[in-house]
Amino acid sequence: MSGKLLYDLKSVSKTFVKGKEKITIFDKLDMSIAEGDFLAIMGPSGSGKTTLLNMLGGVDQPTGGEVFFNNSRVDTLSEGQLARWRANNIGFIFQFYNLMPMLNAARNVELPLLLTKLSSSQRKKSVETALKLVGLSDRATHMTSEMSGGQQQRVAIARAIVSDPKLLLCDEPTGDLDRKTADEILSMLQLLNRKFGKTIVMVTHDAAAAAYAKRTLHLDKGVFVEKDLAA
Amino acid sequence: MTFLKNIIGLIFRGLGLALKYIFLTISSPVWLPFWLIAYLVEHIAFVRNALIATDLYLPFKNMERTPLRFALTVFAIFIAFLIYGALTAFDNAMNAGVDLAADDRLVTVNKINFTQTLPIAYAQKVTAIEGVDSLVHMNWFGGYYKDPREQVITFAVDQTKLLEVYGDDMLLDETHHKNWLRNQQGLLVGELVAKKYGWKVGDRIPLNSNIFSKMDGASVWDFVIEGVYSGKFKQADTNGVYFHYKYFNEALAFGSNQIGWLGIKTTDPSINEKVIKAIDDMFVNSPFETETVPEKAFNKSFIARMGDIGLIVTSSVSAAFFIILVIVGFSMALAIRERTNEIGVMKTLGFTSRRIFKMVLMESMMLACLGGTVGLAASSFVIKQVTSSPQFPLAGLMLNGEIIMQAIILMVFLGLITGIVPAINALRLNIITALSRR
Amino acid sequence: MTSIFSQILTVMMMNIRSLPQRFWMSFSATLAISVVVAVLLSFLSMSKGFEKTLEGAGSENTAIVTRSGSKSELNSVLSNDIVNIITAAPGIAHNAAGQPIYSPELFVIVDGIRRSSKLKANLPMRGISSVGFELRSNVEIAEGRMFEAGKNEIIVGKAAQREFAGFDVGTEVRFGKTIWTVVGLFSTGGSAFESELWADTRTVQSQFRRGNSFQTVRVLLETPGDVQGMVDLVKQDPRLVLDIQTEAEFFSEQGEALSGLVSIGWALSIIMSLGALAGALNTMYTSVSDREREIATLRAIGFSNISAFFGTLVESIVLSILGGFIGAIASYLFMNGRTTATMGGNFTQVGFSFEMSPELFQDGIYLALIIGLVGGIFPAWRAARLPVILAFRGGV
Repeated sequence: MSGKLLYDLKSVSKTFVKGKEKITIFDKLDMSIAEGDFLAIMGPSGSGKTTLLNMLGGVDQPTGGEVFFNNSRVDTLSEGQLARWRANNIGFIFQFYNLMPMLNAARNVELPLLLTKLSSSQRKKSVETALKLVGLSDRATHMTSEMSGGQQQRVAIARAIVSDPKLLLCDEPTGDLDRKTADEILSMLQLLNRKFGKTIVMVTHDAAAAAYAKRTLHLDKGVFVEKDLAA
Repeated sequence: MTFLKNIIGLIFRGLGLALKYIFLTISSPVWLPFWLIAYLVEHIAFVRNALIATDLYLPFKNMERTPLRFALTVFAIFIAFLIYGALTAFDNAMNAGVDLAADDRLVTVNKINFTQTLPIAYAQKVTAIEGVDSLVHMNWFGGYYKDPREQVITFAVDQTKLLEVYGDDMLLDETHHKNWLRNQQGLLVGELVAKKYGWKVGDRIPLNSNIFSKMDGASVWDFVIEGVYSGKFKQADTNGVYFHYKYFNEALAFGSNQIGWLGIKTTDPSINEKVIKAIDDMFVNSPFETETVPEKAFNKSFIARMGDIGLIVTSSVSAAFFIILVIVGFSMALAIRERTNEIGVMKTLGFTSRRIFKMVLMESMMLACLGGTVGLAASSFVIKQVTSSPQFPLAGLMLNGEIIMQAIILMVFLGLITGIVPAINALRLNIITALSRR
Repeated sequence: MTSIFSQILTVMMMNIRSLPQRFWMSFSATLAISVVVAVLLSFLSMSKGFEKTLEGAGSENTAIVTRSGSKSELNSVLSNDIVNIITAAPGIAHNAAGQPIYSPELFVIVDGIRRSSKLKANLPMRGISSVGFELRSNVEIAEGRMFEAGKNEIIVGKAAQREFAGFDVGTEVRFGKTIWTVVGLFSTGGSAFESELWADTRTVQSQFRRGNSFQTVRVLLETPGDVQGMVDLVKQDPRLVLDIQTEAEFFSEQGEALSGLVSIGWALSIIMSLGALAGALNTMYTSVSDREREIATLRAIGFSNISAFFGTLVESIVLSILGGFIGAIASYLFMNGRTTATMGGNFTQVGFSFEMSPELFQDGIYLALIIGLVGGIFPAWRAARLPVILAFRGGV
């Protein structure tokens, strides 16, 4: 591990009530992520990896413990504060891209910038830079519905990095893609991590995808387990 | 066999294509403006930035994302406002007499009912009452032109006093007025009537009465048109035709020396009450009791006697709005439900729930305003077409500021009502459930 | 061929089973159609009721004499001399004493206060004699008694009493200087006469200073419908400027006064239908796009596109007819028998009730059917042309 601490989860718990049952997903989980890390989280379905990612992204709140981001608490923020915090600090990449079908590629990338006070020329410049980075400058005005899965995911990556967040959260980013395209996307993430210093947390089923990360954590029933020995 | 099938298939496909393009061409006035707006929003940086600055860009893109549904919804709203505009304007025109009534004018009628007559001597007696500036007596003639269905609103009046009382509403050439006063068979014709029948000054025309016949038994009365008056206001009613009471009274076979009612101008509106009391008190013990009311009240009561036009108008407009409310409301709700996942993504990206709430509301508001504006414009066009026909008898038919203001309020109201439930659903939508919905 | 029907049935059942998913959307379209139908039927039943009330007043056995061109009883005036001349015409029935049977009548307008609006409206008052009673079928004193000749007494029609305030039996009403006592309530089987006040002819003549003139004369015809004898007399005698019509003819002309309402009703409902049509189209397109995958899957396993077409069309038609029925039944429940009054041909209020009939009901259903047909055919077309490949496509 190198660099300063970006994320620190201190004995975080997550339970929810389903009918009369009380289900525990995490019980007093500790975890820390350094700046510049590229972390893959693996685990079977129901292991809690998506919930963990949601918590890191500030879209889900822990029911116990403390969460620090850049040394300030985020689990106590209100919904509105969290939204602004997400806009400033986190970039999201989803399995099914989640692009807006009524907008073309450039407009999709521009979307997070609408949350900032940037002028239209500044926005235009940022979008161009982001699209260039993912190699889609020539597709800026295409509708995303006319694009292949790999291209759509690249638009999604451009959208995630356009406002220059510290942390990228990827939920099965290659789950819907073929091997070759998946490798392209993963290389791109690797590049973002190495060259641009983005901290990346990626949830995946795929060991080949996890191999692109700097380190891999295995989650099972809400606990990190050592799997390196078996592998 | 297959060859034939192919040929038939080809013909059908060709026909379908032809139909499609014919339809697109015909309907181009409808979709072209919207297409143009959509194009402008996307390609003119200034327009787009303005929309982004007001946070209307995304609602706009959402609104027009499914062109078919967008078109159908706007069309439904369009229909509602078309009906609203046309019917309300009609209702207003019917009531124009009430709005245009002068405050310093009174009407005296027989207390039993205004169709009962009064003795001619009453005119002299009322003139003497203090506060009466001038007065004119009038008779309903029941006139028609050639065909009993072609009713002409004709009055036999004291020709010397007509303009003294109603001169504020009527524009009439001075020489025409003099000629009309001079000729006992002279007819003073309203602009709308003259237009309808193509009458000009100098024309000799016969009018029949469905009530009165002359002493010789004839029901045809001969007239010479001596003047055509127009209204001083746009809404003014110029459907009336006036002629000399003397001609009327002298030729009558029965019921002579009777008048229908008195039109009175007071010296000041503030003394109306006093004048009304003085007139009615004067005749309280006579066989012809009178009832005097301000012109406004008389016109209002006259319209009320015709039947509940207002009721029919309001219930029709309400029914139309109810339909549109239901259609737009549910299609908005459906559209937002279909976008559950997207809203989840937007929230994840950092859009606050309040902002998304506002966006949904803005979308329904834009729909309502777009459809409403076009509908109102269409109703104004329809009204223009209808009123330009010389056969059309209603002068004041138009969209005035009041109707337009009300329409704007209705648009906002429609937008709010149809958008509020989906907006609240979007506000409450939890990111995790939204994203796991797929 | 049978397989086509079973295919259509399958697609239809699939659509109907998936209806609950689209319940609110389908509901809104159905509701919109029902409102359109209800609006149409309200207008139609109103004019139908008005027509029936006036037509009920007219009889083929009676002729009505008015001054030529007057078109209504109010505008007509007949002097006593004219009455004497015309009632001597051939074709008029005579009584045992050899006298012609006729009823000269007065018709004046007085003010009454409408119960609904609390505003003044024109109320017709008729001066009538006992012969006039006999000339009208099914006149009945429902309450109180008949007026006495020579006295200021009136009897009030049921509709007039229902629509206007202050005409209960035993009350006194004042027209101008004269005070009249309401002594009875009469019915005429729902016809327009029920909207009138009746009093003794001579009394009305004197109290309203009508001298010895009348508005109209009704005569009993020897042969129902045959007024030729009187018409011939009018032609021969230049003093007679009169119109002779059977009473039935006279009132059916007046019943047309509200025919404009029928046109307005149709115009309005057709314009509203376009709005409802937009709703129906919206619903059906949503229905098709909701079931894209299912339709494509059925096509993939060998269902024809005809079944996809008709399955969708039938769904639309079922929904619209349902809406039509709801609208028709609602307007029947709320409108049928509802009473109101409006301005009739005599410049007076005629009380009548909304009248729903099977034909009107049919009109309403036709309108709903057309909306359903048009609203279904385009989405059905889309359903029929869905590419089969959709069934194999993953994701969204």
